[in-house]
Amino acid sequence: MIFASQHLRFGHNPTASVKKITDYMELDTALLDTVAAVAVKGRVDSTTADKLRDHLTQLIGSGSARLVLDLKEVSYISSAGFRTLLITARSVEHAKGKLALCGIGGEVKRLFDIASFTELFTILPNRDDAVAAARA
Amino acid sequence: MDEKPPLQITLFNGLQHVGIIAINLIYPVVIFNMAGASVDTTVELLCVGLVVLGIGTFIQCARRSPVGSGFMCPSTFTATYFGASALAVKTGGLPLLFGMTVFAGILEGLMSRALSRLRAFLPAELSGLVVFIIGVSAGIAGVRTMYGTDAPPVHNDEWLVAGLTLGIMVALNVWGKGAPKMLCALIGLAIGYAVAALLGLFNAGHIASLAAAPWLALPTLMHASWSFDVTLAVTFGIASLAATMKATGTIAMCQRMNDADWTRPEPRSVARGVLGDGIITALAGMAGAFGTNSSTPSVGVSSATGIASRYVAYAVGAIFILLGFLPKVAALLAIMPRAVMAAGLLFSGCFIVVNGLQVMTSRLLDIRRTLTIGLAVIAGAAVDIFPAIAAGVPSALVPLVASSLAFATAIALVLNLLFRIGVKKTVALKVERDAVGTTHISDFLRAQGAQWGARAEIITRASFAANQLVETVADNGWGDGPLILEASFDEFNLDIRATYTGAPMRFPNTRPTEQEILESADGMSRLAGFMLRHNADRIRSESRGTSAHIWFHFEH
Repeated sequence: MIFASQHLRFGHNPTASVKKITDYMELDTALLDTVAAVAVKGRVDSTTADKLRDHLTQLIGSGSARLVLDLKEVSYISSAGFRTLLITARSVEHAKGKLALCGIGGEVKRLFDIASFTELFTILPNRDDAVAAARA
Repeated sequence: MDEKPPLQITLFNGLQHVGIIAINLIYPVVIFNMAGASVDTTVELLCVGLVVLGIGTFIQCARRSPVGSGFMCPSTFTATYFGASALAVKTGGLPLLFGMTVFAGILEGLMSRALSRLRAFLPAELSGLVVFIIGVSAGIAGVRTMYGTDAPPVHNDEWLVAGLTLGIMVALNVWGKGAPKMLCALIGLAIGYAVAALLGLFNAGHIASLAAAPWLALPTLMHASWSFDVTLAVTFGIASLAATMKATGTIAMCQRMNDADWTRPEPRSVARGVLGDGIITALAGMAGAFGTNSSTPSVGVSSATGIASRYVAYAVGAIFILLGFLPKVAALLAIMPRAVMAAGLLFSGCFIVVNGLQVMTSRLLDIRRTLTIGLAVIAGAAVDIFPAIAAGVPSALVPLVASSLAFATAIALVLNLLFRIGVKKTVALKVERDAVGTTHISDFLRAQGAQWGARAEIITRASFAANQLVETVADNGWGDGPLILEASFDEFNLDIRATYTGAPMRFPNTRPTEQEILESADGMSRLAGFMLRHNADRIRSESRGTSAHIWFHFEH
């Protein structure tokens, strides 16, 4: 179930939109000059991973190949979610952009370690550092 | 552990640990004071106590011995025995204190043989409750030194000394760094002493005793005598149990520090360590000293500095024994002004209180556990605030009701047993496909985990297992009908079993490559299987007819 997003103007000033994907996932997107920062809230599983992928693919396609994914408020991520991260990394690479992750702690970090995914991504402790890394 | 640091580092670290443990010398000083012991007697008792701490440290770190964990885990006097000891000296003086301390030590030694059974009988929140009450009692005892019914009126200068001592301890602990932060309690005590001296809070008798104390003398056992009172057995029993639980946790910390692959406590060295702890406490009682325990803050410092060598333990033991031969040092402790005592007890009580809270809340709490903890805490506080409650009970129950620790623990034990009624050990949930993508399974396991008092971290792992399994088989292999999820729990194990019509999942040992995850048809399910294998402690899957059965086992 996708609700109509509050879509705002793009420009040099930071803009934001919030998109509710399902009752269990929400995406909060902010455009910070050349970097698109997406805060993922809720569950990233087989029912939401494709929609996250579509949203990120749309961002990359519209010129925002420098991406930050903030996973601080992710409560659950499954193999489907990890696959979406891999797809996004590949798309960003093809678009000659950069992908940085942040907000990875607690249960999500544990799952990253179990899946041996920690070494595959640029992971920063906070959003500001991730934005700086994506811009560099 | 077996590394030998340079002598300078060994000695410096040894002194550091002695400095950290020194604050706990306050407990025997206060207790001997309560017993009405003279300064000279207190000096002699403290000297013996220091030697016991030294011997205890050697016993605990002994390598390849049937007694002792083998770790750098020094001995310390402990607040765990404070409340019980106060009751003992009030009831029967020092002989009763020492006799009951021997009893507690023997009991702890016996309990070391039955640690796993104890854990099944006593949930973690009960251990936490006991530690919490001990911390509150220690803090209240600090206030009582100034405002007890028999205490002389408080002088304004005493307020200044108490406030300054406590303020310095707190300030150094909050804003200090390095050695001043670690030794904040000792520095606070030293400054408290100095200001008390400047303000003339030491009486002439105290100064004379300090001056008369020799620099060097053999410790004496002349004050060691023992008596036993069965009415205090429950109170000292509970304190001994708390000491056992605390020693178990401290030794587990040591194991984790010394083993990069540590996943759970190794029972044999824990049992040897607790046995050693019990023997040291019994030795303390026999020699005429206060109850002891393994020093958790010392292990914390070792973890922070990365230095856990057995040679540092030897240094700590040797320093304590040497101090036992220096009555002048013990005399300085024996004449501690009550304002400094109060500050020290309040400060150390804080950490024990919070440690107890952390242990209590390390498990999921449902309404049963909330009521058990809440009612027990209030009951314990009530008997401390209203001692008349004890006056109104049959004489056989007075020792139980007169002690906040004993009473709170008794209430908690009774309620814990009562509230087990209606709690099932095995529960089942019927899962339909539309549960995928919802929090239905997680909510169910969390609610059940709270009823069981399971550790939150284990329930989280079990939730991931159930959710990921259901999500994966929903697209691969799950045929008709619902999936049945069963969860079983006892204090040591959490087992999740999933049964569904269809083919069982595979759980590979190696992770599929990124290319396989992205491009092959079963890449994602193989990733899921790999994650599930590494999430659980054990996993098993089999096919029975048209049904698939998957078991996840989690060590609790």
